[in-house]
Amino acid sequence: MQRNSRLKRELQMLSTEPPPGVSCWQLHESVEELQAQIVGGANTPYDGGLFTLEIKIPDRYPFEPPKMRFLTPIYHPNIDNAGRICLDVLKLPPKGAWRPSLNISTVLSSVQLLMAEPNPDDPLMADISSEFKYNKAVYLEKAQRWTAKYAKQKNKGPVEAEQNILEDRSNKTAPKREALSAQENVEPAKRVCT
Amino acid sequence: MLNSGADLFFLGLTAMEGSDNADQGSSEQADSQRRQQQDRLHREEAFYQFVNNLSEEDYRLMRDNNLFGTPGEITEEELLNRLHQIRDGPEQPHSSNSSSNSSSNSPEVSRGEPSVSEAEGTEEASNGDTLLDWLNTVRQTGNTTRSGHRGNQSWRAVSRTNPSSGDFRFSLEININRNIAEQQTQTEADRLDAEQSRTDGSVSEPETPMEAAEVVEEPVVEEMAVIVEPELPAPNSPAVTRPTSPQNQLPTSPSPPQVERPSRGQIRARSPSPEQRRTRARTARSHLALSLDQLDGLPQARHGLPSRSPDPVPEVQVDGSSRTRLHVLSRQNIQLENEETIATTEPQPAPQPHQEVETPSGETGASARRPPTIMLDLQVRRVRPGEYRERDSIANRTRSRSQTSNNTFLYETERGGFRRTFSRSERAGVRTYVSTIRIPIRRISDAGLGEATSMALQSMIRQIMTGFGELSYFMDSDSDSTDSSRGSNPAADLADALGNPDAGSPSTVTEPSLGAGGSSQSGSEPQTEEREDSGAALRESRARQRAPVSLEESGSLPFLRLAHFFLLNDEDDDQPRGLTKEQIDNLSMRNFGESDALKTCSVCITEYAEGNKLRKLPCSHEYHVHCIDRWLSENSTCPICRRAVLVSANRESVV
Repeated sequence: MQRNSRLKRELQMLSTEPPPGVSCWQLHESVEELQAQIVGGANTPYDGGLFTLEIKIPDRYPFEPPKMRFLTPIYHPNIDNAGRICLDVLKLPPKGAWRPSLNISTVLSSVQLLMAEPNPDDPLMADISSEFKYNKAVYLEKAQRWTAKYAKQKNKGPVEAEQNILEDRSNKTAPKREALSAQENVEPAKRVCT
Repeated sequence: MLNSGADLFFLGLTAMEGSDNADQGSSEQADSQRRQQQDRLHREEAFYQFVNNLSEEDYRLMRDNNLFGTPGEITEEELLNRLHQIRDGPEQPHSSNSSSNSSSNSPEVSRGEPSVSEAEGTEEASNGDTLLDWLNTVRQTGNTTRSGHRGNQSWRAVSRTNPSSGDFRFSLEININRNIAEQQTQTEADRLDAEQSRTDGSVSEPETPMEAAEVVEEPVVEEMAVIVEPELPAPNSPAVTRPTSPQNQLPTSPSPPQVERPSRGQIRARSPSPEQRRTRARTARSHLALSLDQLDGLPQARHGLPSRSPDPVPEVQVDGSSRTRLHVLSRQNIQLENEETIATTEPQPAPQPHQEVETPSGETGASARRPPTIMLDLQVRRVRPGEYRERDSIANRTRSRSQTSNNTFLYETERGGFRRTFSRSERAGVRTYVSTIRIPIRRISDAGLGEATSMALQSMIRQIMTGFGELSYFMDSDSDSTDSSRGSNPAADLADALGNPDAGSPSTVTEPSLGAGGSSQSGSEPQTEEREDSGAALRESRARQRAPVSLEESGSLPFLRLAHFFLLNDEDDDQPRGLTKEQIDNLSMRNFGESDALKTCSVCITEYAEGNKLRKLPCSHEYHVHCIDRWLSENSTCPICRRAVLVSANRESVV
C-alpha cells in the first residue's frame, strides 16, 4: 500500500517534468482519480486534437496498473467506443506488461505512442482495424473527422496557446525526464486484448 | 524530496483550467499541506528505519502477514505493536466455559472448564480485528485455542493445521447467554445450565445448530462450500405432545402434530426437554447476528435481544426481526422459524395442520438461560486434482436438475464469474445440503489487514452471501414443500431462487463497508414483512423475501470476514503465480551503504537511504525488500527488465 506516497511523488514529477504533449492533474483532493490530456501528435490524424483521459488509481497501485480511459471520442483501432484502451502496459502480467517501475507518466507516453502507431493486429475495434490495414486513406479521413469533431476546441486561439505552453514547458524539462524513462523500454504493443 | 505545499496543488500544465485555482491555494492550505507532508515524511523515515532494524525473521513474519501498512501512513508505534502482536502470538489459550457440542469438530480441544475469567477475554472479543489478527497468528503457530467473553456471549476459536498437507481448519464456537440483564448475577447458574444443556444436547441429539463451511483450494479456483448436515435420527418417534405451559396463550391448532413431518417430530422426540432445546436453537438464531456483530467490534445492537416481556407475541416478533437478519443454516432452526411465524399469525386455518404454537413462555423459566451454541467450522484443504471431478463435470452452466435414486437435487448457476452449485441429497434419513461457490480468487485484491472495504472484496462477499442466502432459502422452501400438503415443487422454488437470488435486496447494491454495522437498522423493516407474510400465510413468498433480506447483513457477518481471511491468504491459481516465500527469501539481500551510487527504488520511487534493506534480483536490479517482495509474491519478473527472476519459471520468461 504505497499508493499515496508514490502518487504524490508522481504527481509532483508530472507537474514539473511532464512528458512532451502530455499533462496530468488531480481531479479532486483524492489521488484516486486523475485526468490527463494528450495532444494529438503531428503527422497523425489526431493532430490538433486535445484528448482527455480519465485515470483511476487502484488501491494496489503500483502493484496494479492505473486504469485509463479516453473521455474524448477517438477513432482508433485499439480504443473502443467507451474509450477503453487496449494496451499491454495497462494490464497485469502475464497478459499485460505493467510493472511497478512504470508510472503514470510512462503509461501516458505509451498511450501517446499508441495513438501515433496503432496496433491493428490486436484490435479492439475490428472494423477500424481492418480499415487501418487495408484502406488506410479511409481510416485517416475518418480519424481526422473525429478529431475535428470531438477533440478540437471550438475556440481555436486558446487551444493553440495552450499547446504552445505545453510544448514549451515540456521541451525545457524533457532532458530531466531521462532518468525516469531510461528504465522504461517501450516495446511494440502485443496482443493483449484479443 | 521536500516539496512545498503549493507544488502539490499545481498538478497540471493545462494552464487554462488548472493554474488559476492552483494559485488561489490559500497560505493556510499550503501550511497544512506542508505540515501534513512533514508528518508523512517523518513517518516514512521511521518506517524505513523500522524495517532496517528488523531482524530478518521479524521482517518475514511481518511481511508474510501483511502487517507493514503504508510507508508514511503507518506509525512506528503501530508497527511495533503489530510486530509484538505477531511475534508473541496469541494469548495463552484458555479453554472457555463453552464446550463444543457433541458433533464437535474440534475433538482435540479440552473442554468444559466451567470457570474462566470472563473479564480477561472481554477486550479481545470486542474487537473483530483482534480475531482477525489472531487468525493471522494462527498461521504461524499452528494449533491454537482462543476464547473470549463479551457481553452476553462467549466464544472460543480453535484452529488446527496439518503440517504435512497444509490443510487448515478453524472452528469458532459461540455461546450466548440470553439474558444480559441477569448475566452478572447469574453467570454461574448460566454456566451450570449451559453445561447441563449441552450435555443434554450431546446425549440426546447428536447435533446442535451447526454451520460448516469448507474452503477448498483447487488448482484453478477457490471453492467455498457450506455443508449443513442436520442428521436426522432414524424415523422412529411419533410426534411428541409438547408439555403445555401456563403461558401458552396462543391458540393452538386443533390438529395434533403429524408423523409425516418426521424431522420435526424426531428432533423433538430425541430431546428430553423439547422446550429447552427449542429455546436454545431459537436463541441461537436470533442472537447470532448480534453476537457476531459484537465479535466484530461493531456497535452492539441490543434491540435484537428478546426482552423478557411477559407478552409472548411481541417477543416472537422481536425474534422474527432478528431472524431475518441471519439464518443459521440448519434445518432445525428453519422449522422453528416456521413455527414461530405461525405463532405470530393468529389462528391460521390449517394448511399446516400440525402447526404448533411456540411457547415463548419457556424462556421465562429456568430453562430460558440455556446458552445456545453456534458452531462455525471452516476448513481449508488442498484438493488433489481430480478429487472434485464429479462436481466439476457438470456441463450445464446455467442450471441443471437431476434427481437420482438417492434423492439428490443439484442446481448450478453461473453469474458474474461466480459459479455456484447447490445440492441436496437425502439418504438413510440424512439430508445434506451443500452449497458451493467457486470464486476466481484473483478478483480479490490483496487488501491489508482491516482493509475490507475494497469493491472487489465486497462484491465477492456479496456473492458468498448470496450463496448463503440461497442455501437458507433452499432449505426453507425445501422443508416447506416437503412438509406442506400443498405439494409445491421444491425444484421450481430452487430454480427460482437461483434465477434471481438478488431480487428484492436492493441493499446489496450499496453495500456498506465491512464492519460498518448495518445491524441496527434491520429491525423494523423485516419485521413488518414478516407480519404481512405470515398473515398471508404464504410460505413461499415469505421464504423468497427472507433469503434476500439476509444478504443485507452480509457486511457484518464475521464468518464472511473469516472467508475473507482465508481467501486472502490462500494463493490463487487463477493466474500464473508469483514466487513462493522461500523463493523470495532465497534472493540476495543487503543493506544500502553510503558508498553505493545514489539510487532510487523504482517501485516506490524513493531514494534509498542508509541502512535500507535492498533485494537484488538475478538481473542485478535492486529494490527495497518490502517493495519487491510484494511484487514478487504475485509476479515473477523483474519490474525493470522483466526478466524472469527464477530461471525455472520459464513460462514467465517471455511475458
